[in-house]
Amino acid sequence: MTTKKSIWEKVLWTWKPATEREAGDSVVRNILLHWFPAKVSRDSLSYSYSFWLGTVSMVLFLLLTLTGMILMFLYVPSVERAYQSIKDLEYVVSFGSFLRAVHRIAAHLMVAVVFLHMVRVFVTAAYRNGTAAGQNRPLNWIVGVVLLLATFLLSFTGYLLPWDQLAYWAITVGTNIASAAPLIGDKIRFLLLGGNQIEQNTLIRFYVLHCFFLPALVLFLFSWHMWRVRKDGGLASVDRLSLKQKSEKTAPVKAKTYSLLGLARGRSVQVETALVDYDRHTVPSSPNLTRRLLVVTVVTLLIVSILAVLVPTPLEAPANPKVTPNPAKAPWYFLWLQELVTDTTIHIGSVTINGALVGGILIPGLLVLAALSWPYFDRTPLNVVGVWFARARTRQNLVFLAVVVLILVLTIVGTFLRGPYWKFYWFWEAWPPVPKNF
Amino acid sequence: MKSMKLFRKSEPGADGAAGDSPTRRSWMERISLGALLASVAGIGTAMVRSLVPNVLYEPSQRFKAGLPDQFPEGATFIEDQRVFIFREQKTFYAISAVCQHLGCTVKLVSLNQPKTVTVDGRPMEEHREFHCPCHGSKYYGNGINYAGPAPRPLTWYRLAVSPDDGQLIVDLSEPVHRDFRLSV
Repeated sequence: MTTKKSIWEKVLWTWKPATEREAGDSVVRNILLHWFPAKVSRDSLSYSYSFWLGTVSMVLFLLLTLTGMILMFLYVPSVERAYQSIKDLEYVVSFGSFLRAVHRIAAHLMVAVVFLHMVRVFVTAAYRNGTAAGQNRPLNWIVGVVLLLATFLLSFTGYLLPWDQLAYWAITVGTNIASAAPLIGDKIRFLLLGGNQIEQNTLIRFYVLHCFFLPALVLFLFSWHMWRVRKDGGLASVDRLSLKQKSEKTAPVKAKTYSLLGLARGRSVQVETALVDYDRHTVPSSPNLTRRLLVVTVVTLLIVSILAVLVPTPLEAPANPKVTPNPAKAPWYFLWLQELVTDTTIHIGSVTINGALVGGILIPGLLVLAALSWPYFDRTPLNVVGVWFARARTRQNLVFLAVVVLILVLTIVGTFLRGPYWKFYWFWEAWPPVPKNF
Repeated sequence: MKSMKLFRKSEPGADGAAGDSPTRRSWMERISLGALLASVAGIGTAMVRSLVPNVLYEPSQRFKAGLPDQFPEGATFIEDQRVFIFREQKTFYAISAVCQHLGCTVKLVSLNQPKTVTVDGRPMEEHREFHCPCHGSKYYGNGINYAGPAPRPLTWYRLAVSPDDGQLIVDLSEPVHRDFRLSV
């Protein structure tokens, strides 16, 4: 059984396990793979079920961490030198512009992919508990929503750092939205900015948030997210499989319900995951899962690299508090919010409610609240779990997709159809020339 | 809730005490947990408070803008402080350039043809307006908002003449009503 292993195989793991024992060992004995089960169901490996969007966001996060660490050596978080150091990165540092482009593209993609991951989980009802004991998928959905918010905050804090016009005015608008919160708004703004004006205090705050606090938060939540997936018995498609299997006229799956020698209550993880017929439906994680992991990683890196070369990385004029660009636009993933704060100022008689409060705080707050509590109101039967667009959930899916489409439409309007003074122009209409001076 | 369970864990007879009555061990548990919470709260307060600046190295809210004679007729934009100073022969007034919606700098737009608008129940002829580039708010020449998401009129600030050298003093900490005029 013990064949001679190369050092490579000792440090990592074997790609060609000779026996099932060896395949299991490579998962159990290796820290890089230890969060995977030794065996995994074929259904949860399917590309067309999950599109591996969670894995793609993890790969993007690691890529962002790696490139970000290098960028930290090359960037100076001071208002006098920040812009110049980005310029050096673009024009002087070897491969600097490539690194910056990779970091930026990966950040944009991460926002999109994390969002799509959420959409996938929703329309497959994967936030629902299935048949296994000890599941708490709603909790993992909540962790996921917080991860999405953390992703937004990471990109928001990231684009202040170049200290160009985009950065300066995005932070102006963003922190003024925060100050529209009732009672404590102004205090929050003061604390975020470290003063009344966007200055050195603000830059260093956003820098530390961007480089340490938020990545640490994401890393912690990501570990929790993965741990919960294991606790919940894998992807929701496994529950679907187990339900299907129960309706088949086959020998029942062996039920092992012993406790862990009386040391812990409940059943062990292995027993909880034994929902499906091991022999028919599962394969060893190594190499079946690791191989796909490699494919997904490589494809993600490939797409990022190609986009990083093709898509130019903008750097606007240095931050200038005196001149607001016309139009002043946030990055695309925040333009739906910019559109909302524009359209939601309400006049009731003599009372006026600022759109910053309605569109910037109330509506997004309600959306997040609805997302967090949704799993607890979903009362459809169990057989929808892990099924794309299940019949019984049509109405829910339509409501959810309507919100998604609305966000997309507002994003498109904000990106393409808004010109100087935030006026509406169709695609084919030319923007009028705008005088440079006041 | 959970921590209460923790306190009751000590078994009767384990260290000589009976039932739920506090034992030496549970008392120690409680006091150390309390001490830990107190120190976390203490260091937490210190950390958050240290991030609220006590001294700000920001430009003063009250500043000298120059001698009245140096201002041309019409509008002058003071870039650093984001404020417009208007001169109408011998009178002066100052209007903030900070949009009341989300703080962008509004732009002064000269109208090709004078426009008659009704402000405070009176008709008024105006030659310029303020437009915000960020979200399209619009203000009349006297700062009253009439379109877009802005919830309030632009702020007017107090102007004064400095007693020492006769320069105009703008006080950004003192908003005034839009009837305010400084005659020099």
